Amino acid sequence: MSTLKVDGIRSNSATSDAITLASNGTCTANITNNLSNRNMVINGGMVCSQRGSSFANITNAYCLDRYKFRNNNGVTGTFTVSQSTDTPDGFGNSLKVDVGTADAAIASGEQFYLGTKLEGQDLQRLAKGTSGAKKSVLSFYVKTNKTGLYSVLLYDNDNNRMFSTSYTVSNTNWNRYTIDVPADTTGAYANDNGASLEIYWYLGLGSDKQSGSFQTTWTAYTAANTGPGQVNFADSTSNEFYITGIQYEVNESGVATDFEHRSYTQELALAQRYYQVLAQPAADKIICFGGYMATEWIGVVHFPQEMRIAPTLVVSNFTNAFRIYGNGASFNPPTLVTDTAMNTTRSFYLRAIDSTNVERAYLRVLAANSGVYATLAVSAEL
Amino acid sequence: MTFPTNPIYKLVEQTLDGVTRKSILKAEPNNIRLQFGYDEANTDYQEYLEWVAEGNTAEEAD
Repeated sequence: MSTLKVDGIRSNSATSDAITLASNGTCTANITNNLSNRNMVINGGMVCSQRGSSFANITNAYCLDRYKFRNNNGVTGTFTVSQSTDTPDGFGNSLKVDVGTADAAIASGEQFYLGTKLEGQDLQRLAKGTSGAKKSVLSFYVKTNKTGLYSVLLYDNDNNRMFSTSYTVSNTNWNRYTIDVPADTTGAYANDNGASLEIYWYLGLGSDKQSGSFQTTWTAYTAANTGPGQVNFADSTSNEFYITGIQYEVNESGVATDFEHRSYTQELALAQRYYQVLAQPAADKIICFGGYMATEWIGVVHFPQEMRIAPTLVVSNFTNAFRIYGNGASFNPPTLVTDTAMNTTRSFYLRAIDSTNVERAYLRVLAANSGVYATLAVSAEL
Repeated sequence: MTFPTNPIYKLVEQTLDGVTRKSILKAEPNNIRLQFGYDEANTDYQEYLEWVAEGNTAEEAD
């Protein structure tokens, strides 16, 4: 038996060791794949979309889980965001942005972009704001027929700092883009459940956000430095933009690791911390059991995943969409509300109040009424 | 209880077991209704505060 004694192993063409061996018998390896739990972005593969699969004329709303599309400040163009199956090899879904109404000129103050937000307690691994701050890498796949320069902004919401840069789309194929993000020894991320880091992919910007220069080292936020040279994706109704495989990881090498594929179950569970559908828009789905008082029905929903905060109640298409059953009868509740003071991150309180029929039932199941579909959900988005 | 249309926000006071609790209703496009509490960590409440700061006033509770 023999022993190979070296201090490092590197490629002939590399400038640094892939494996560095220490005198204490340990080693450090610069491995670029197969590491788990390194992607800080949730639903980077666009597999979860609890709110639906297509969002027409979207202006300022969440669409696919964890992603918000903003089209504000007077943009006359309209957009549809959808969950697509047009993907690079190895992916099942992407997020697609389609131009519905073109906007040939983006005025100052106008902007449209896709974004996601991350909690500070999930970013502590970056050691931001300390002398040991880590470098990181943002990577993603984009395909679009609108070639040109696109800008990306990382915004430190705790300290009002920014890192902005660009990627250039030069063909209409799927391409992976990698952004090397420097360490920031200024401004720590709060170790809490608030939004500390916001990542934005811009599709159009007014002149007010293009008049400066990209900030490729972290610096104080200045709007003018957001995206100089950004193309106007909305200049034609034939334009389409797809994105998937978003990954943000601590990474000292600057070389993006392979995208970390988590199972659908894992991604959904992570996304449900921020949004959960309690009743799908389909008939006869049981929501919860409840009890009653003289003039109201009361039910409690226990969440499968603990939420970020005690959530907001979200009800769509309420009218005649829910029924309360029991004691041989049923009725449509005139209202369905919650008592926010009693809600927690683990359970939710529902009330159907002001009903003259409520005494008829002693144990009730609340269900979507056949023929009139609705969604009942809770939201704790960042 | 009536739901807000214009303005899009309405204040809510509910009494349960003799205790009155306050929350806020919001009407969104596509017939979506939100209800949330006075929680500064809630982004819906944050947006409500921004709306108020712009000079708007919510509809009073019933």
